[in-house]
Amino acid sequence: MTFEPTISLDKNDDLPDSSPLVNRYSQVYLKHDGEQILLVIPSQAEISSDLPWSEIWQELKHLLKTKEHSWQTATEVCLDARDRLLDARQLQTIAETLSDANLSLSTVRTNRRQTAVAAATSGYSVQQNSTQPSIERLDSEEIIPNLAEPLYLQSTVRSGVEIRHPGTIVIFGDLNPGGKAIAAGDILVWGRLRGNAHAGATGNHQCRIAALQMEFTQLRIADAVARAPKTRPRRFSPELAFVTTEGISLAQTSEFAKRYVFSLPNKAWINKDRAK
Amino acid sequence: MSRIIVVTSGKGGVGKTTTTSNLGAALAKQNRSVALVDADFGLRNLDLLLGLEERVVYTAIDVLAGECRLAQALVKDKRLKGLVLLPAAQNRNKEAVQPEQMKKITSALAKGYDYILIDCPAGIELGFRNAICAAKEALIVTTPEVAAVRDADRVIGLLEAEGVNKINLIVNRVKPLMVEENKMMSVEDVLELLGVPLIGVVPDDEKVIVATNRGEPLVLADDNSLPSQAYSNIARRLEGEKVPFLDLLANQGSIFSRLRRMFGG
Repeated sequence: MTFEPTISLDKNDDLPDSSPLVNRYSQVYLKHDGEQILLVIPSQAEISSDLPWSEIWQELKHLLKTKEHSWQTATEVCLDARDRLLDARQLQTIAETLSDANLSLSTVRTNRRQTAVAAATSGYSVQQNSTQPSIERLDSEEIIPNLAEPLYLQSTVRSGVEIRHPGTIVIFGDLNPGGKAIAAGDILVWGRLRGNAHAGATGNHQCRIAALQMEFTQLRIADAVARAPKTRPRRFSPELAFVTTEGISLAQTSEFAKRYVFSLPNKAWINKDRAK
Repeated sequence: MSRIIVVTSGKGGVGKTTTTSNLGAALAKQNRSVALVDADFGLRNLDLLLGLEERVVYTAIDVLAGECRLAQALVKDKRLKGLVLLPAAQNRNKEAVQPEQMKKITSALAKGYDYILIDCPAGIELGFRNAICAAKEALIVTTPEVAAVRDADRVIGLLEAEGVNKINLIVNRVKPLMVEENKMMSVEDVLELLGVPLIGVVPDDEKVIVATNRGEPLVLADDNSLPSQAYSNIARRLEGEKVPFLDLLANQGSIFSRLRRMFGG
C-alpha cells in the first residue's frame, strides 16, 4: 500500500508555532581548495529533488557575480559534479560562465560515466570517483558539526532570490522584500533587512540576525518565527534579533552584549540579571 | 554605435508598450533612427499603439524562416522619418523563437539604426529571456504600487545576473495629488527600494488612454501635455542631456492645496 501525501486546509490564520528546520542546501557553492577553486553542484539525492539545469546555471551566475574579486585571475577550477549528468554543451556553458569571471575550468570530478566521457572529449582532466561515497559525501550526511566558512555577498538580495548557506551569511547591501536568506549560522545584513531571514536553520537557537535597519517581513531563528510588528519606529538603529524564552526579541545591538547571555538549558538568550 | 535597450517590467499592464512607442517617437523627433522590436510574440500590441496594424505584412517569424528579408518586414512610420517597427507574429507563441534568433535579428538591426528598443512581454519566462538576451541596457517601467515594484525588483535581479548592468528606471502613472496626501507610494519610496538610477517620472493622464486608442503616440498627438513632455525628457536624458525633472504638481489640485504648498504646509 502506498501513502499519498495529503494537503489539508486548516483554517488557522496564525503563523505556525514552529518553522520547519532546513537541512538541505540546494545551492551550488564555491570553495577554496589550496591553489584551485572547487565548484560543487549538489547531487540529486542531496537536494531530494531534481534541480533543473537552467536553475543550476542561474545559481552559478548569481554566485560568481556576488563573489567576484575573491580570487586571482585565471585561477583553475575543479568542477565536482557528483552524480549529475552533464553533457558536453552544458560543460562548455559552465566553462564559458567561469571564464567570464576570470576563472578557468580545468578538472571535472564525477561519478557518472557519461559525464566523464563528455568531460574527457572536451579536453578537461577527469577524476572519476567510484560509486562508493566520497569523503564529501560522508561529511554532508552526518549533521554538520562545524559550519562552512561564511558567505559574503556584495550585492543587494532582490525579490525572488533565495540564498541558502550552511554557515553564516553576510550581506553587504539590502535584503529586499521577497528575497530570502537561510543560514545554518548567523545572518548579518549591512543595510536594510526587508525580506525574510532564517538563521540557525539547522536548529541552533544561539544564532542571531543583525541588520542596520530591521524592516523585515518575517524572521526565523531555528524553529521560532516572528512577523513584522504593525507599527515600527520611523528612525532605525542597528538591531539584533535573538531567541528568548518568549520567542524572538529585538534589541539594540549596542545594548545586547550588556544585557543578555545564552542559557543552554533554556535554549534561549536570557537577561543577565535572571541568570545570576 | 547603436544602443540596444529593452523595456521591461515583470508585471503586466504597467505601460511597457506605451512607453516603448512614445520613447521611439520622441527619439525619432530628435532626428534619431529608431527600430522598435515587438518581442511579445502571440500578444503583440505595439503595432496597434503606433497605428501601424494595417500595414504589417511580414513579421519577425517570417524573417527567421527566411521568407522575407529583414528590410521587407520593417514597417515604416509615415509621420516620422527614421521610426520603424519590427512586428511580432500574432499566430505563434513565445516558444516559437529562441534567444539566439533574437540576437541575430537585433544585431542585424544594430547596423542600420541608432536605437533599438525592444518591447518585452510581461513575466520572466522564455519571452522575457528572448527580449533581454540581446540588450545592452534596460529601462524598467514600474508604477508606484507594491506589486509592480516587487516584480521590478525581481526583474532587476535577473537582468543583473544576465550581465545587463546599465539599468534605468521609469516610474509611470504617478498621481502627484495622491502622493501628496500619502495615499500612494512616492517616487522616492520606489527608488529607495530598487536602488537603480531614475530616468523619468510620467504622470497618470487620461490623454494617454485616448492617444493609445487612436493609435497615435501621445508625443505626436499632443506635444504640450505633461506625459508627452515627460517622454520627451526621457528621450533627451537617454541622449545624455541633463534635463531637470518636471514639476508634476504645477496646475494641479484645488486653490487651497496650491496655497498650502506655496506656504510650505
